[in-house]
Amino acid sequence: MKYLVTDDSKLARLSLVKSLKTHVQDAEIFQATNGAEAVEIVKEHKPDIVFLDLTMPVMDGYEALPKILEAYPNAKIVVISADIQEKAKEKVIALGAQLHVQKPINADKMQDILDIL
Amino acid sequence: MNSIILTEDEKDVLQELMNVAYGNATAVIAEMLDAFASLSIPNIKVMQVSELMERFNQLKDSSYFFSTQAFMGEFNGESAFFIDEESANNLAKHLELESIEDLDDAILELTNVLTSSLTTRLAQEMDTEVSFALPSISKVPLNEIANVDTFLQYSQVIVIDTDLNFEDQMIHGKIFILTKDESIQWLRERIHTILEALI
Repeated sequence: MKYLVTDDSKLARLSLVKSLKTHVQDAEIFQATNGAEAVEIVKEHKPDIVFLDLTMPVMDGYEALPKILEAYPNAKIVVISADIQEKAKEKVIALGAQLHVQKPINADKMQDILDIL
Repeated sequence: MNSIILTEDEKDVLQELMNVAYGNATAVIAEMLDAFASLSIPNIKVMQVSELMERFNQLKDSSYFFSTQAFMGEFNGESAFFIDEESANNLAKHLELESIEDLDDAILELTNVLTSSLTTRLAQEMDTEVSFALPSISKVPLNEIANVDTFLQYSQVIVIDTDLNFEDQMIHGKIFILTKDESIQWLRERIHTILEALI
């Protein structure tokens, strides 16, 4: 399986990758620091699961989400965000995300995400 | 105390913790106002108070309501919330308030909920606890802001600033979290503990 972790924060990426590696062996994990980088990585590597932050410089998650799905419609997108407003959740689900999960991510939350997917 | 320079990793950790805390606080305020806020990336900087005053002066030419709330604990300091007059009037309209007293009360409550949920969550992410003083509100012309006592007790501060932005209601605010020297040292140690746990 291929995974893409997209977040402008190194801390958030480190903690997500660590949680992911707790549950998934032999994973190919790519990292992007904004939505534009994520779209390029999706075009090139077609990851199965994309973890996507919303508030990022250059291109935010709202803008990147449809572009990622356009580049690779089979990608499952999990929005990992500090924005827990109901409207934010509704918006990303309407844009095609599978899940909206509140930051920060730990191993237990990652297990729940992988179980749902 | 010598000038403190935060490394990129330290800034990143603080920014991410603030992001989580601010997301939480915004959701509470959004529910309170029945409105949707867009989130922005927090700016983190260590600065002298004189520089902070310049930053405040750059905010806008018009008068601001500003309210402050001190927080105590291992992590201690003060949060300041600025809302310009136009946004305050839009807030009054949105909440259908009838008097200036009601508006003052609404801004105080907004500050209380916003800064206490923000700081509580930030402290929680750093595995500590904070307690709060009552918020106070003032309406100060910006050319007098440098005389506001509350900021003069600081020498060097970590300033975390971010925007509160309800676009549809045209309500915009700015939040600063100020911490003093001893708290900055505590904060750095905590950040390193968080980073070491991940590597």
